[in-house]
Amino acid sequence: MKKPVKKTKAVAARAPKANAKKTITKPAPKKAAKAAAKPAPKRGPISGVNPALIEMVAEIVSRLDLSEVEVEREGLRVRVARQLGNAQTFSVAAPAHQAPAAVVAPPPASVATAPAAAPAADHSGAVKSPMVGTAYFRPSPDAKPFIEVGSKVKEGQKLLLIEAMKTFNEIVAPRGGTVTAILVEDGEPVEYGQSMLVIE
Amino acid sequence: MFDKILIANRGEIALRILRAAKELGIATVAVHSTADAEAMHVKLADESVCIGPPAARDSYLNIPALLSACEITGADAIHPGYGFLSENARFAEILAEHNIGFIGPKAEHIRIMGDKIEAKRTALALGIPCVPGSEGGIDNDEQAIRVAREIGFPVLVKAAAGGGGRGMKVARTEADLLNALHTAKQEAKAAFGDDAVYLEKYLEKPRHIEIQILGDGKGNAIHLGERDCSLQRRHQKVLEESPSPALNAEQRAEIGEICAAAMRKLQYSGAGTIEFLYEDGRFYFIEMNTRIQVEHPVTEMITGIDLVNEQIRIAAGSPLSITQEDVRFEGAAIECRVNAEHPATFRPSPGKIAYYHPPGGLGVRVDSAVYQGYTIPPNYDSLVGKLIVHGRNRTEALMRLRRALDEFIVDGIDTTLPLFRTLVRNGDVQNGDYDIHWLEKFLATGGMDSE
Repeated sequence: MKKPVKKTKAVAARAPKANAKKTITKPAPKKAAKAAAKPAPKRGPISGVNPALIEMVAEIVSRLDLSEVEVEREGLRVRVARQLGNAQTFSVAAPAHQAPAAVVAPPPASVATAPAAAPAADHSGAVKSPMVGTAYFRPSPDAKPFIEVGSKVKEGQKLLLIEAMKTFNEIVAPRGGTVTAILVEDGEPVEYGQSMLVIE
Repeated sequence: MFDKILIANRGEIALRILRAAKELGIATVAVHSTADAEAMHVKLADESVCIGPPAARDSYLNIPALLSACEITGADAIHPGYGFLSENARFAEILAEHNIGFIGPKAEHIRIMGDKIEAKRTALALGIPCVPGSEGGIDNDEQAIRVAREIGFPVLVKAAAGGGGRGMKVARTEADLLNALHTAKQEAKAAFGDDAVYLEKYLEKPRHIEIQILGDGKGNAIHLGERDCSLQRRHQKVLEESPSPALNAEQRAEIGEICAAAMRKLQYSGAGTIEFLYEDGRFYFIEMNTRIQVEHPVTEMITGIDLVNEQIRIAAGSPLSITQEDVRFEGAAIECRVNAEHPATFRPSPGKIAYYHPPGGLGVRVDSAVYQGYTIPPNYDSLVGKLIVHGRNRTEALMRLRRALDEFIVDGIDTTLPLFRTLVRNGDVQNGDYDIHWLEKFLATGGMDSE
């Protein structure tokens, strides 16, 4: 699902590329879809870099609901950004009512199709949304969620609700197993076919 | 004015709507089936939502999914394009109930014009000339025979719930009539769920001439001239042009004003097209399409008016951007509907477009959503795109069309480009000397046999 650029940033959490968009540090807006926080990939030690620093910055980004933080210390600059599900690599026109910004629409043949939200999205155990709506993982706002990462589920067990037009639809487990990943957040809009969680 | 429009369609018309919305500074939401995830307008829209699997019934016709998509994106209006839900009165009503703008006419007018018997009755009441026929539906065999004798054979049995050329049977003699009547009813029941039929006089060699109108919904309406859409195959338009080679300025003004006056009386809102059969100097109403049409660019080229822009503005409550006095008809325009079909057998040819180069230059317009590397899905219509040319006169337009067709490259799939290259070199087409049966006769007598 492509979402408007003004609401969520599509910036890859890697070394800046030549055509990387300008980065602005600001909190992700309270409404609308929040990007799924991606755990820092496990890599071998990079010389001169303290992994603890990166983990700390990543934790701050996640906990304080930021889209991006840049830290500079002792000549080393670290930028951690949350990657939106279907990140597109081209910039999009400014939202309505503003003076139109320069739009860069690359020739269609070379548009990089977005990487999946996480490798888990293409997983054979992914549970996909059968409809358009808003995903809720709790029966009501103060109740416990139906499932969490690590939960063991049986076939037919209630996993989440998808609300559309004021009607709540139960999504049940297509098979038994363990929930190994939850890919959307409570209250996040989902589209048809979107991977919401993984049961292995 | 709307803040965000959800485009409830696909292909070239979805791209067309997106372009108009962007030019108005309105945010765009592209909804699509899984088969259309790589569509051009999906890539260009500000937001996109996948609403279902390939089948139209589960995606583009899926009203709950469309409403849901509006809800999660905050879209405040839907443009339905053509086909799909564009002439579904119930859909227009549902959107009104949910306070979502419907960029199209009032539900009541969609309903009236969707029922062909009701449409004809309404047209007559509004002063639009009609084909002689039964006053309403045909209820029994005796009535059918009586009406047919009154209007004279040959007659056409037409399904009330049909339209777009579907659900029609010719009867040349009384002996044929009852058979045609019963078959038509059976087929109508199966295809449209409604076996109501009516009779009309069958015109032997008419042209199909339609009038484009715009209404502001408050009693003001104008006409934007005609389009001649006589070149058809199996009731599907293949090539359209304006002005019609058969009309002069006086005739255009007369039928145009009849249509505009009718729309004023109706208080029609938005774009619409009133379709006629034209024979021996007379116009006969067949149906009204209460939506934007595939061939709308032909009118845009000769009047300079952006019809989708008008639709959006009218739906948002604005007046028409132009008065009848200010409408100018400049030059001539011709449109070719390029389909992914074999040019002689018309066998569908979905698949990947390996190489794509559209023509360009002065007076050449290509309305297409395909691109090099795009795969045309097999689930929907086969329209690759529309090539529209404009010239200062019909001769210039024809020369430009010939030149543009020769430049147009679509490799990897079959297309009907060779058909158009043949037609543009044909004497009858060049003289504008054709009727609604011409193309099928041309094909049946081997016009494309050298392909």
